Order: sequence, then C-alpha cells, then structure tokens
Amino acid sequence: MKRRQYHPPRIAGWILKHTARYEETFALIGDFDEEYQEVNHKSGALFAWFWYWRHCLSSLPVFVKDSVYWSFIMLGNYLKIAFRSLKKHKGYSFINISGLAIGMAVCVLILLWVKNELSYDRFHEKADRICRVTMDLEVGSTLHTPVTLTAVGPALVRDFPEVIYSTRMLPPNRVAVKYEDKLIQETRVGYAENAIFEIFTFPFVSGDPKTALEAPYTVVITESMAKKYFGDEDPLGKTLRFNNEQDFSVTGVVQDIPSNSHFRFNMLRSFQTFITEGDVSDDQWFDVRFYTYLLLGENVDAKTLERKLPDFLDKYVGEAMKASGGSIGLSLQPLKRIHLYSDFERDMSANSDITYVYLFSGIALFVLLIAGINFINLSTARSATRAQEVGMRKTLGAVRSRLIGQFLGESLIYSFLSMVLALVLLKLSLPLFSTLIGRELSLNFIQTPWLIGVILGMAVVVGVFAGSYPAFFLSSFQPVRVLKGLLKVGASNSRFRRVLVVFQFAISIALIVGTLIVYKQIVFMKNTELGFNKEHVVAIPRMSDAIRKSYRSVRGELLGLPGVIDVGASDLVPSRGHLVASFLPEGFPDNQRQTLDYMNVDTHYIPTMGMEIIAGRNFSEDLATDQDESVLINETAAKKLGWEDPVGKRFVFRPPPGQEGETTYTTVIGVVKDFHMQSLREKITPLVIFYDYDNLFTVSIRIVPDNIKHTMDLLKKKWGELDPNRPFNYFFLDDSFDNQYRSEERLKNITFYFSFLAIFIGCLGLFGMASFTAEQRTKEIGIRKVLGASVLGIIRLLAKEFLILVAVANLIAWPVAYWAMNRWLQSFAYRTGIDPLIFVLSAVLALSIALFTVSYQAIRAALSNPVDALRYE
Amino acid sequence: MKDLTKIEEILLLAIWRLKDDAYGVKIRKYVSQITGKDFTYGNLYSALSQLSKKKYVKKTLGEPTPDRRGRRKIYYTVSPAGVNALKAAREMNEKMWEGVSDYAFD
Repeated sequence: MKRRQYHPPRIAGWILKHTARYEETFALIGDFDEEYQEVNHKSGALFAWFWYWRHCLSSLPVFVKDSVYWSFIMLGNYLKIAFRSLKKHKGYSFINISGLAIGMAVCVLILLWVKNELSYDRFHEKADRICRVTMDLEVGSTLHTPVTLTAVGPALVRDFPEVIYSTRMLPPNRVAVKYEDKLIQETRVGYAENAIFEIFTFPFVSGDPKTALEAPYTVVITESMAKKYFGDEDPLGKTLRFNNEQDFSVTGVVQDIPSNSHFRFNMLRSFQTFITEGDVSDDQWFDVRFYTYLLLGENVDAKTLERKLPDFLDKYVGEAMKASGGSIGLSLQPLKRIHLYSDFERDMSANSDITYVYLFSGIALFVLLIAGINFINLSTARSATRAQEVGMRKTLGAVRSRLIGQFLGESLIYSFLSMVLALVLLKLSLPLFSTLIGRELSLNFIQTPWLIGVILGMAVVVGVFAGSYPAFFLSSFQPVRVLKGLLKVGASNSRFRRVLVVFQFAISIALIVGTLIVYKQIVFMKNTELGFNKEHVVAIPRMSDAIRKSYRSVRGELLGLPGVIDVGASDLVPSRGHLVASFLPEGFPDNQRQTLDYMNVDTHYIPTMGMEIIAGRNFSEDLATDQDESVLINETAAKKLGWEDPVGKRFVFRPPPGQEGETTYTTVIGVVKDFHMQSLREKITPLVIFYDYDNLFTVSIRIVPDNIKHTMDLLKKKWGELDPNRPFNYFFLDDSFDNQYRSEERLKNITFYFSFLAIFIGCLGLFGMASFTAEQRTKEIGIRKVLGASVLGIIRLLAKEFLILVAVANLIAWPVAYWAMNRWLQSFAYRTGIDPLIFVLSAVLALSIALFTVSYQAIRAALSNPVDALRYE
Repeated sequence: MKDLTKIEEILLLAIWRLKDDAYGVKIRKYVSQITGKDFTYGNLYSALSQLSKKKYVKKTLGEPTPDRRGRRKIYYTVSPAGVNALKAAREMNEKMWEGVSDYAFD
C-alpha cells in the first residue's frame, strides 16, 4: 500500500540543510523526513509540523556549534597554507607587503592632513552662525579683500535684527611687549571688540568674558603668555607696556588658541582704545583697516542677508561712491569656508586651498592604487604555482565559494600585515611629514578613535579589492585541466597585467613631470630679475616714533658702521604688502579716478635698493619742493595712464567734498623701471612713489656680502643704543621675498616625495614581474643559449618587454601632466614655459629606473648555465 | 585510544544492540527511550560524526525510501576499535562502581 506523502515544512528543512554541516547531513534530513511522515500518520499534520520545527530548532545550537568548530579547523588550514606560501616566496611577500604598507601609510598621512584642514575653525560653538564681511572695491581697478569699512560692523547690528554681534579686529601683529625687566618681541598681538568673546569660543581661564575688553587700555592674553610674563602670579590687573608707548592692564586670560584656527592671537587689546584716542569713530565709513566678523541669529540665512546689503550700503555711502565714480560691494563669507575657500588680497593669514586638499587626496589614492595593482599583478602572475593547489582542493571537494574565501582571506592576511608595517612607517614618518606641510599633526588613537576604524577599514577594503581578482581568477581553474598540465597560465592574463603596469607607470611619470615643473617655476621665481637687488639687504621694520623723528641722524650713525654700504627708508618694502589709493591724473575727468599703488620713500631708498630711474631724476634732498610737489611713477603706471613722456605730467589733489581748500598738484619728476613689489604670482601694479619723511617705518640697509655675521652684530649693538626700549627685530629682504613661495615649495616637496614613493612601489612590482618572467622562461633562455644567443641578446629580450610598457606609460602620462601643470602655471602672472626637455627627462628617468630594476633579473637569467635549466628535459 | 564520552558510550551500545537496524531514526528512538528524554537529532549527528571520525563506527549506505524523499539511510555498525573502546569503558565503569553496594546511596 502506498501511503500518502506529506511535505515537511520548507523553511525548517532549509534551515536544517544550511546549518547542519556534516558529511551525514543527507541522511540526517532523510531521518527527519521519515520520522515526520510517521508522526503525521500517527498524530496528524499539525502535530507533525510542530514536531518537525521543535526538533529542528532544538538541534540548531549543536549544528551551529559544530559548523563553527569545523570552519575554524579549515581556517587553520588556510592560515597554515597562507603563511607557508608567504614564507616560501619571501621576495614576493616582501614586495607585496612593503608596497601595500607604504601605500597605506601615505594614505593615512594625507588623511590626517585633510582632516586637519577640514577641522579649521570648527571648534567654535556657534561656527555655523559666524561670518566675515568681505569687500569688493572698484575704483579704476578692483580690490577683493576681507578688510572692510570701519563703520560697517556697528551699522549692521543697528540696522538688521538678524545680526546679533559684530566685532572689528586688527590682525594679530608683531609688537614689543615690556613687563618689568622683560622685553620681548611678541607675535600675534591684535585688537578686537569685546563682542569677539560672544561670537567666537575662546574659553576664559580667569577674568570676565562679558566685560574684559569693554574699557580702553585693557588686554586679554593667552595662558602661555600669562605664564611667560607673570609665572605663577595672578595676571589680572597687571600692566603690560606695548611698543614702549602705551600701558594696558590685563583683564582676562583665555586658553591658548588651537592651531586649527584661521586667526590666532597671543594678546588682544581693546578696540575701545582706538575710539578713546580719537583714531576711530563708529560713523567713520571711508577707513579701510579692520576685519569685521558677525554673529547671525539662529536660522538666519547668510545669503538672504547678503542680498539686503546693496541697499544698506547705498543708504550710507551711495552719495560718496557716486561722486568718485567707483563702486563698492559687501559679501558675507561663512567662517567655515575661510580657511579653504579664500582668495583675498590683504588677508589675515595665508590660508589653504581646497584644490590642494583634492590634489593630495588624489595622489594618496593613486599611491595606494599602485600598491594594490602590484598585489593583483603579482598574485595573477604567480597563479601557475597555486593552480596545482586549486586543482587538488577542488578534486577533494572544495567548492568555489570556499576557494574564493581562502584567497580573499590570504590577501586579507597580507593587507593586515601591511597595516601593521604601515603603522610603524607612519610613526616614523609623521615628524618629517609635519615639517613638510608645515602643520603639527599627531597620531593619537585615544583622542581620535575613528582613526582605528578608518585604518582597519582600509586594511579590509584593500585586502578585498586587491584580493578579489586573484581570488575569482584562481578559483575558476578547472581541476582536470590544471592537474593534466593543460593550463597555460600567464598567456591568458598577460594583457591585463600589462595594462596595470602601464597605468602604474603613467601615474608615476605624471608625478615626476609635475615635480619638475613646480621645481622649475620656483627656480624661475627666485632667479627672475626683480628690478632691484634683493640680496644682502637687512630691513628693520616698525621703527619707533623716537627713531623716526631723528631719522636723519640715525641714518648717519648706521652709515658709519663698517660693512654698511647704504641706508634708505620707506613705509613698505617689497614682499610685505602694498597700499592702494585712487588718484586723479591731470587731464582725466573727475569721475575717472584711477586706482594706483603707492609708497613713501626717502631720497636714498631707490639707490639703496638698486632700483633704476629710466627717465627724469630721483628725489633730491636739496629741493624743498620735492617733498610735497613731486612723485615718481613706475613704467606700468605710465603705460596705464597713457603717458608717453610722463616727466612733467601732474596728479590733481582736490580738497575733500564739502570742505574748503585749494586744489594742489604733484608733478612726476621721474620714472622708475618696473620692479616686483609683490610675488611673481601677481602682475606688476602701477605705482606712485612719494617722498615723505613723516611716513617712513622701515629702514633698509645694504651691507657688504662678506662677514655678514660681524656686520649683523655691529648693527644689533648700534640699534640697541639707538632704541634701547625695543628688541632688535629685522629680516633679510631675500628671505622675505622667497618666503612668499613657501606654498609652492611645500607642493614641490610633497610631489617629490610622492613621486618617489610611487616610482618605488611601481619598481617593486616591476621587479617582481621581471623575476617571475625570468623564472617562467628559464627553459627558453637555456635553449637560446645552447643555440648560441649572446648574454646581451638575452638581456635585451627580457628587458624589451618591460621597457615598451614604460614607454607607452610615458605617452599616456604626458598629455595629462601637460594639461594639469599648464593649468597650475596659469595662476602665476610670471611663469616659466613648459619645457619639452622636462618630458624627455622624466621619460629617461622612468626608463632608466625601470631598466635598472629589470636588469638584475635579466642579467641573472642571461648568465645562468643552460645545463641547469635543461637538465630535467 | 581516547575515552568515550557518556553520549558516545550510549550511542555505541545502542548501535551494537540494534544490529542491522542501526540508522538515525531507530538510534534516536532507542536512546530517547533509554534516557527517558527526547534526544535531539543535533546531539545525535554531532556525536555520530565524532564517532565516525574516531573510526569507532563503520558506515554503510542504505536504500532510499519514499518516506525519506529519496535520501539514503546511513547504517552504522560498531567497528573493532569501537568494540575495544566499549570494553574499556565498561572496565572503567566496573572499576569505579566496585565495592559500592547497591544500597549505598539509599
């Protein structure tokens, strides 16, 4: 009799099948089914259903326990094989692990840097609501700057309920600070209004943030300053003397400003001081000295507020701007964008650029990619040796998914070993990297626990990414073909490997070209004729009032020193900023005023600096009229104003609107050959030079090139006698000028190190590939040698293959590098051309490095005794 | 030779007793009956696979039946090594119980 068949619960059956991992599982399920039918007939379907589920679930813990146990046993086997193959092929393992480790270390370094860049100004609690007022001034030429009209801040708070606080700030500067017998040249000493503590988050250690800077002649200092000047004493109420002129009393101590702040101060004096002294008033519009920061109300959209600003400006300065024929615009820059998205003139500090963040992140990824490619390349190249193992495992019943798991696991082992090595490298290279980029970075897992996750994640991603191709490739072998020796490994995937090598070298070559071009541009900028002689000039900035009053005799004293050639004075020196004003050249209508740069000098400045007068004459001490009625202009100014023969032309100075006074004129008495006041990024601007003894702040001293140290000692001693109340503070003009190219230097250094690393990792891979090829072709080489091939011929045979790849990589890298570097060079007004020689040079470099790498293996193969190779045939 | 666990001992005895009929369903029922508890298939096969790894049992494939939806039975028999292990277990048991009177724990 045929009994009726019941179908057992599907889900429970599925669970059984997939959790019970015994050899006997089929019989186990059979037993289940058999007993299920029995129960069905005895007690009914419902009861049987429960029976099946109950047994399934109560067996589950044991199944899971056993299957985990067995996969551990298998894992042990995989680990054993992995470490065996790691030990057996030490060379390959070294290449893989060190390459990956370098790639990872570079990535983490860049990550730390990027994180640091992105963290700027984020520590302020109200960072989202803070913005900076920036200004676009257009009077003849344009000025795009964060320095704004003095009255803007208070007026914005008054007119717009959206604006809660505003503070004006004078950028932190160098000042001589005196307390009792301590006299120190202090950096980062600024001015601000008390609202700065409402807007920004600068935690107070002592003092009252509500009132600290309310009164004139008060100063808030940082903790480290307090320690420096007052030791363990209570700083509150103490008096500091600034520039030997003004006394300020300490009303607050704040924690030191974090390094990831776009402005940092050591001391902040009260802005009220300016007002008390009558230097500034809140209704003063046409005064452009201060930076203005605002705190907006919650949920206020800065963009909406920005759209109301033209009307606001029109109300206060519309009339005046119409009269001058210029225009003015205000924008609000969110605090969080200041560090990475600023392109202003006269900004408070050298900010970074988001382009560099993208650029370096890209490079870091590329280096990691190159290392990953190595891994894939070597693993597939070596697949022949593993093919036997795969064939054997498959014959013994390994399923493909298990094999994929095994090979992925192996690459994970490699990537985790690399990670450990990378951490060591990271620890070693971090100080070097910090100096390279000019930021203090630290590797602190306790402070930044996310870093652990990132590094572990990177190891996993790299392991899986680099291991997946070999895993799928190796596990696809058919055991019959492999074990019969039918599989020709190498031929099938050699194209893939070649593409990878080409890609790798293309990246490296592009980096080399980039480094060379940046280097060439820096050399160009440093060696270009500036229009004056920047070598051996000592500049002493910010002379005190006393010195300035007796400048003529001071100059005489300095000239008397041995080693001093000439002494001149000016308000500005090249590389340290420029001033603009609007001028009315004679013959121009009143509403076409021209924006020109200007500076003030004495009669000796131009000869001291080695500037050249190409028409007319220099100022003369003997002509009284020169001080008030004469100016010099540069060639660019002459060109801009369209004056073919500028000597004798005049500028018109009208009295301010609404005021009585005579119109005066100043006459151009000479033309100075164009010289670079700013870095070579900027075009030479039109310049007007005044002769004015009242506005000289910096003395420039040309000294003899020999025995500079002795001359400096003499200068220091003399200056100490002349101005005993201030420390001797000076700089060399050439240093100051070259310092403008620090960001380019930094770029050059970083690309240099990166291209070195990229080439190094690429070569590691190439070396591995070459040794593999040599190994594969042992017999071929043996036969060739027996048949009379020369050693050189065989070396050529082996090296040719790789050199062609590198040559192709060159062809790919060149256009990319050309395009990128051409774009980079566009940011310089004065730039070097892209020399074809650079491309040739980098090609030669890459080829010779590749040749060198390959030749070791090639020579070894070529010199080997053919008997050894052919012995077993 | 490794000592048998209690479950392995019971299973080996069960297989030996069931003779030609020793396969999953029967063994489970027998053991459940002896111990008075519902013995799960999980425990059964976990122990059986251990026994066969230790070579105390021999496996032969049986016929597929419709009730088993085409899956073959595995018949177990105690191998000579299994017999030795049982003997050793019995000896140890007897030694342990030696001199303990039947009423000792009353």
